[in-house]
Amino acid sequence: MQTITFVLAGTMLAATPLLIAALGELIAEKSGILNLSVEGMMALGAAIGFIVVMETGSYWLAFLAGGLVSTLLAALFGAVVLLALGNQVATGLAVGILGVGLAALIGKPYESKTVPPMPRMPIPFLSDIPVIGPGLFNHVVLVYLAPLAALGLWWLFRYSKLGLIIRAVGESPEASHAIGHNVMLVRLLAVLAGGFLAGVAGAFISVASTTLWSDGMIAGRGWIVVALVVFGTWRVGRVMIGAYLFGIASIAELLVQSTGIGVPSQLLTSIPYVATIVAIALLSMDGRRIRLNAPVSLGRVYREAQ
Amino acid sequence: MRLRKRIVAWLAGAAAAFVATATQAEPVKISFLYPSPVADVGWAKQLDLGREAIEEKFGDAVESIVVENIPEGPDAARIMNQMVTDGAKFVMLGSFGYMNDGLRLARQHPDIAFIHASGFKQTDNFGTFTARNYEGFYLGGLAAGMVTESDTIGIVAAFAIPEVVAAVNAITLAVHKVDPDAKIKIVWLNSWFDPPKAQEAARALISQGADVLFSLHQDTPSVVNVAEAEGVYVVNTSSDMSAYGPNSVLASVINDWNDYFIESFQAALDGDFKGADFRGGLASGAVKVAAWNDDLTEEQLGTIKQAEADLASGKTHVFAGPLKDQDGNVRAEAGTTLPDQEIFGMNWLVEGVSGSLPN
Repeated sequence: MQTITFVLAGTMLAATPLLIAALGELIAEKSGILNLSVEGMMALGAAIGFIVVMETGSYWLAFLAGGLVSTLLAALFGAVVLLALGNQVATGLAVGILGVGLAALIGKPYESKTVPPMPRMPIPFLSDIPVIGPGLFNHVVLVYLAPLAALGLWWLFRYSKLGLIIRAVGESPEASHAIGHNVMLVRLLAVLAGGFLAGVAGAFISVASTTLWSDGMIAGRGWIVVALVVFGTWRVGRVMIGAYLFGIASIAELLVQSTGIGVPSQLLTSIPYVATIVAIALLSMDGRRIRLNAPVSLGRVYREAQ
Repeated sequence: MRLRKRIVAWLAGAAAAFVATATQAEPVKISFLYPSPVADVGWAKQLDLGREAIEEKFGDAVESIVVENIPEGPDAARIMNQMVTDGAKFVMLGSFGYMNDGLRLARQHPDIAFIHASGFKQTDNFGTFTARNYEGFYLGGLAAGMVTESDTIGIVAAFAIPEVVAAVNAITLAVHKVDPDAKIKIVWLNSWFDPPKAQEAARALISQGADVLFSLHQDTPSVVNVAEAEGVYVVNTSSDMSAYGPNSVLASVINDWNDYFIESFQAALDGDFKGADFRGGLASGAVKVAAWNDDLTEEQLGTIKQAEADLASGKTHVFAGPLKDQDGNVRAEAGTTLPDQEIFGMNWLVEGVSGSLPN
């Protein structure tokens, strides 16, 4: 395996679940709901996805099931914050912990078992390019779908009516309500979409990346997802750049260590975080534009006028 | 009528059973606390096998309570307290981080025997146990030096604690004994548990030419999975993982606590338990190397078995002088061996490792 091929392939594998889950979180936050339970939703998706592959052998069913079960968890979160007007931060933390615990419980009989890796789908011609081809174009299909989904989401927020409604609800739920949009419904659907994508991302890690399930294997990736959305200043393109940047930096760290260069490894371990923060901060130096991008009602409790 | 008869018979039976159990000795309660879930393989699994060995040996005389997947901290302290309140007479604490809470409890309850994994503080009723895994990894290193074609060995390591550093050094010494030109490359994960990252590290090492990997302190078969997929060899820790990598597992360094647990429990039963520092290696059977790959020739395996016998009998020592560290400082003179306190506090790499130690 050549070094460059390894870096490219490793980056795609590390960044894809982050990107998928970050797009989901972005949808929820654009509608004004801060959902901090991503770690739990990803863990649950990973456990369910893994179990489905073990029992049925179908990877597509695994992504679907992982996504749907995480959607249920997101529905619980949505019910508490939208109907019971619970605090979003506290509820998100609680539901996240619940998700991690549920995943450990459900996944207990499958602890440290392995499944065969998901079949790859090399893209014809492109995957034959030396060095770059096997690195970028010989992956499972979700790796190609993730950036396409990002493109779709960018279009949705910029040009579609639905995207504009979601943004309007996130900016001013009162005004949206006044002109006749169903704020609760829009927000609930946004939260559910976020849950589904987080579940798919979790299932990706357990069935397409590690091919094993173990409690705690998400290892903080859910929190990186939340950070990516904030540092990406709620813009699809920047969130995507952040995800791939984090992916490549985390691979570079391991690569530098494996070449035996005498740099302290704790320093290297911090590189992905530092590099991503610095790069995104440079991209969004203009504080005024950050404030423009941040959904105004993010995290606020909204009580529907009677 | 018949019903009443039956009730009377049942009551009589129950009474008889009650008398029978009352005359029998109460089973002794033993409690085991693990930091991770008990899976098919891994650290907790090996500890649990030790518990099963006690149950098998003592039968109905013991009753065991297991609490798994408990992070070090307040939760662990609470559960330990509960174990003692429930009447446990023998407590096994399966993680380094349980030390301070366990010690406090041991001082309050001098009649209860505690054994604690990888700690360094002992009292009369609080013993510690550690594996000399470096002896097992030395044998794995010999095999790695024999099979490597690229002359590059890759090590995926969790944290640079003395136990792991000693393993890295043992591997290096063994590999260089067989193949003096081999390069030893390490990736420190700086994380106890992150299977995806361990796998990326394994791939990074393979991309740098490693054709034998060592998986130090990965509880899951994460690195074994990558080795099997990429067609390289791997030596792993804790359990026999050859089922996950039938072609790739070169050897598994296994911890076997059965004898130590049984002896400690017997001592606790007899009332002569004494908190000591147990360091088990090949000689005591606490460290075993199994699942030798079929690709090793008879001759190679013979050499390894001879080295194993010599280490076990004490004829040879993994850290025998002359021993130099990376900076060229002499750590052990010719004719001497490194004392235990230096092995179990190791914070330097031997000559010939590329990469540095996180400090």
